[in-house]
Amino acid sequence: MVGGYELDVSARERVPAWLAYGTPLFTVAAALVVSGVALLALGVNPVAAYGTMFVDTLTTPFGITEVLLRAVPLVLTGLAVYLPLRAGLWNVGAEGQLYLGAIAGTWIGLNVDGPGFLVVPVMLVGAGVAGGLWGLIPGLLRARRGVNEIIVTLMLTFVGVELAGYLVRGPMKGGQGNFPVSETLPGAAQLPAIGNLLPDYSRIHVGVLVAILATVAIRYLVRRTETGYEVTVTGSNADAAEGAGIDVEWVYVFVLVAGGVLAGMAGIIEIAGIQGRLRPEFSPGYGFTAIPIALLGRRGALRVFLAGLFFAILVVGGSSMELAFDVPAAIVEVIQALVILFLITAEFFKRYRIGIEREDRDEPAGPTAAGEA
Amino acid sequence: MNVVDLVTPAQTEDVITGPPLDPCKLPPAESDAYLELSGVRKTFPGVVANDDIDLTVRRGEIHGLLGENGAGKSTLMNILYGLYEPDAGTITLDGERLDPDSPADAIAGGVGMVHQHFMLIPRLTVAENVVLGDRTQASTVRNDDGALGKLAKVPVLNGLLDALTLDMDAPTERLHDLTEEYGLDVEPEAPVWELDVGERQRVEILKALFRDVELLVLDEPTAVLAPDDAERLFETLERLTERGITVIFITHKLDEVTRVTDRVSVLRDGKRVETVDTDDVTENDLARMMVGRDVLFDVDRPSTEVGEQVLAAEGLETEDERGFEVLSDLDIAVRSGEIVGIAGVSGNGQVDLAESLVGVRRPVAGSVTVGGRDLTGEGPRAFLDAGVSYVPEDRLADATAPELPVLHNLMLKSYREDSHWGRLDYDAAAERAERLVDEFDVRGVRDVRTTPAGDLSGGNLQKLVLARELSRDPDVLVAHQPTRGVDVGAVEFLREAILDQRAEGTGVVLVSENLDEVFALSDRILVLSDGEIVAETTPEEADRETVGLWMGGSVEDPALADAADAEIAGAGDESTATAEGHTDD
Amino acid sequence: MVGFLAGLLDATVRAGTPLLLAAMGEIISERGGVLNLGVEGMMLVGALCGFATTVVTGSPWLGFAVGTLAGAAFATIHAVLCISLKADQVISGVMLTLLGTGLTTYFGQAWISEDIDGFDTVTFPIVGEFLVDLPVVGTALFRNTPTDYLAIMFVPVVGYFLFRTNLGLEVTAVGDDPEAADTMGVPVFTVRYLCVILGGAFAGAAGAHLSLAFSKLWTTGMVAGRGWIAIALVIFAQWRPWRALVGAYLFGGIEALILRSQGLDLALGADAPLAGLINPTVELLTNPQVMAMYPYLATVVVLVATTRNSLKQRVGAPSALLDNYSRELE
Repeated sequence: MVGGYELDVSARERVPAWLAYGTPLFTVAAALVVSGVALLALGVNPVAAYGTMFVDTLTTPFGITEVLLRAVPLVLTGLAVYLPLRAGLWNVGAEGQLYLGAIAGTWIGLNVDGPGFLVVPVMLVGAGVAGGLWGLIPGLLRARRGVNEIIVTLMLTFVGVELAGYLVRGPMKGGQGNFPVSETLPGAAQLPAIGNLLPDYSRIHVGVLVAILATVAIRYLVRRTETGYEVTVTGSNADAAEGAGIDVEWVYVFVLVAGGVLAGMAGIIEIAGIQGRLRPEFSPGYGFTAIPIALLGRRGALRVFLAGLFFAILVVGGSSMELAFDVPAAIVEVIQALVILFLITAEFFKRYRIGIEREDRDEPAGPTAAGEA
Repeated sequence: MNVVDLVTPAQTEDVITGPPLDPCKLPPAESDAYLELSGVRKTFPGVVANDDIDLTVRRGEIHGLLGENGAGKSTLMNILYGLYEPDAGTITLDGERLDPDSPADAIAGGVGMVHQHFMLIPRLTVAENVVLGDRTQASTVRNDDGALGKLAKVPVLNGLLDALTLDMDAPTERLHDLTEEYGLDVEPEAPVWELDVGERQRVEILKALFRDVELLVLDEPTAVLAPDDAERLFETLERLTERGITVIFITHKLDEVTRVTDRVSVLRDGKRVETVDTDDVTENDLARMMVGRDVLFDVDRPSTEVGEQVLAAEGLETEDERGFEVLSDLDIAVRSGEIVGIAGVSGNGQVDLAESLVGVRRPVAGSVTVGGRDLTGEGPRAFLDAGVSYVPEDRLADATAPELPVLHNLMLKSYREDSHWGRLDYDAAAERAERLVDEFDVRGVRDVRTTPAGDLSGGNLQKLVLARELSRDPDVLVAHQPTRGVDVGAVEFLREAILDQRAEGTGVVLVSENLDEVFALSDRILVLSDGEIVAETTPEEADRETVGLWMGGSVEDPALADAADAEIAGAGDESTATAEGHTDD
Repeated sequence: MVGFLAGLLDATVRAGTPLLLAAMGEIISERGGVLNLGVEGMMLVGALCGFATTVVTGSPWLGFAVGTLAGAAFATIHAVLCISLKADQVISGVMLTLLGTGLTTYFGQAWISEDIDGFDTVTFPIVGEFLVDLPVVGTALFRNTPTDYLAIMFVPVVGYFLFRTNLGLEVTAVGDDPEAADTMGVPVFTVRYLCVILGGAFAGAAGAHLSLAFSKLWTTGMVAGRGWIAIALVIFAQWRPWRALVGAYLFGGIEALILRSQGLDLALGADAPLAGLINPTVELLTNPQVMAMYPYLATVVVLVATTRNSLKQRVGAPSALLDNYSRELE
């Protein structure tokens, strides 16, 4: 480098506590600051804007309701990506699994007659099965043939979206006129609200419970069950797992199917809880947003839940910011992306120390350090 | 030594006006020392790999570098090749100082190296692999006489043109010439993925020759070759030296040393023991130099009751990813309460053997029986359930999940026992883990549930692995290099633990490159060489030197060799020794 | 029918160009060992920057250049994250798509109603004058926008670069075995940086083509998933530029067909044999949404067929794709 000095990058042995715990806060703060620049560029006061985004969102019943409702699909798809990630796989196809679940669940809701307390669970199960099947395909391909699951899940996502588009223009078409949309779900098939006790929160539906239960269930699975242990070990060192007699192939299939189930349920919850009927491209990209959420919540289902909530706050806050300041809500996507960007950067600094040192550095102890020559 | 003393009166005038004469820089013609390593020293944490090594290699000779694993051969050559920076010492090549910071420097200085692991891109052809990285070799513009050639002299444009052109004709032609000249039977146009191991090695040699190296180092080149290919390699090396190229040949195989080298330097424990003319020594002598006579550890090995056969393998055959045979027709049997030590230099099939005995590797042929049950072809789970424990050679890659807590690692083989209807009783597992940590004195564990296994030092991690494997009270224990990279205090502990397990009735297969360890712990010693068991003995019957001989691939009968030695000592006739010191392979 | 086909072919070329351009870049990037899932975002960035530049300066060529540079700049982020900071390539790519989408939607609001002249179709010089009147294929082959021709011209250039230059050789080496390349003195990091940035440049160019030649306007999310199709195309084409050419027009053709599927009347007469079976099947297979699935399904099929160990060494994905190389791993 310059003048006999060079940039020395060396691996850390231990992560300093301030870095380990402070990271989420730093990354969020940094993202907000940088996005603030974009706000200034459009002539908006960032402080005021963020005030609207966070304060209004969290202090009004409407805001809280919206946040919870928006968080449901984010948390569920976040978990759908988290579990395979725990086993070392990337489920980039949560969006497609979500669509499959929506399709199956809507079909059930439209065609199965009965009281709500029967129909709704069947819808959820059906959606889960459909999403699970959509995860089974990449799971089997990866387990049996070593086919890269990133590409397969990604491709199937778009197939799933087109499938929904086809169905609502054809076999599942309903409604008036030429709009591609399914019939509206009958009242029994719509998710019951659970917030009736509190009149201001009356729109909170059962889906919120599902998300909470799913979080608890996944947390329990990973932390307390034999399967969860196997998943964790596989994700940490698949070779050691094999040596311990763990059926790694089965683990791969399991996590992708389970992920599909979760994403599938997210899909039908969105239809039956909010939108009421199936439309093409009804999802604002939950399955993709799930990827950064899973990354943020990498260390546990609870964190995934919190990350989902956080992103939901951003989304809802973004809408109110849009209304109040005439700023495109897309700023939210920018903030989300920046959070991830700074998180990645922070990850690097957690693992490596950067210093400036003199040119003649020591050789690292090579593979022969421990007795080979 | 005073410089002035070297100067004769007639030269004094020159000395006053010219540069001072450097005693280390003798003109090449006056010495046939082509390569001189002087005072080379290299330490890694906890280990002195090269301890003040002096080495002289003569021009145009094939110089063997012999030693066990850990002797320091590869480290020394890696320093020469610019992969390591020595702590002290100098390298002089053809009278000039060489101080390589990278392989590129070494190559520029005329030193080439053929590693054990080939650095080839299978998708590309031989010629493309050879030319890779050296843009000037394959650039059309350099040779152009016209405008393009003139343009090529411009500095920046120069580099750009080199990068963005490619000429395979000239290099291919040159390669054809080289392959003919040196008898290397390889098609430059062939894609590397089509080539077998022997051919790929020839490509590696071509890479060096193409860059006009004058000194070629080969690191254990026959480790991956069949006997035919090995012989061809030797012929190639002889041709190289006929054309003035100097060769350094790293090996642990005694028969190769005697077959192909002119002189050989023996390294042991980081020091150079001796350099001799190959014609002057027998394989016996070499073995003695290689392994020495000292015994470092005197472990008390109590006698035990040896019982039934717990593990047996017959006719084991395995292949590597390229379909090349590693183990060939190997038989082994272990009984309860005995330790069977497998001696041998790394690379002779140890990993395949260990993995085949525990179900991690499915042999291509042969059978494996545990406790009377045929488990051939079964996976690790079946072997686990049958009571087989395994301590692999690479604890970080194969035996542990370093990012996970100590607890998760300790329960890796026993977690199913703590599982009730799917739920894992981590508390019970943690209790057991804590007991194991105590029992095996695993240090550095702040909390079994949170301390990542990767935080532990090598020795402690190994204790963790052993603790896990031994606490299962296995019928069979396969331990591969159980004390490698482990500090001295832990080594003692681990060996005692293995002996204790043996007293409990476990049948132990100890695969180790450390002869001390094999001698100290084994009831029986099997010698593994080239994928076969070539000898069986006990620590009482054989001595290190003999086992060293066998490890080196020699099939000499030590009794005969000793008789020959006695004759040499008596007659003092070198040629007789040569005639009688070798057997036909 | 002739009119239909001619129109279809015209549209095929137009639709294929952005796919082709983006795929060229992604081929280079992946051959160097870096997967870029941010293509969609980079295309959007290229589209907006190119469009805005043209609005301000009136020059579509300048816009095209700026769009290309914008894509390259955006890709530099990916390069720094993945190559120097050893970040996970999937995360980085997805993040950049998110960032690109967000930024372009946010800043693009102001440009939505703007108007430009953009690139008009031109007749291919000399040869084209005579052949443009050929039935069916005439206009498709010889009357296109300059960027359409540019895209096609780049195919042999990229092919030459990858297979007939020293640098191209190094790119292949780095993507298959960076450690081996490093030992041979190849500057692994520099080569990878180059690959990723070139990938971004092509993606930016593809986006610029969309806003300057294809639609001549800017709307939010106008790339409409073409970035993802380009990624699929690279796998479908097995990382080969000429195959990408074929694949781009194949996928482009499907896109064009989807928009024109009303004009397709392939139904058999009701009394034709097996009409009851064939007609619904054909209808299903030519349904626009179903057809939209074909590129993705085809890619999966190709991927499954080629992911087999024996094949891996000579064909298929670059062996070190997705592996972040670090010297200290030795």
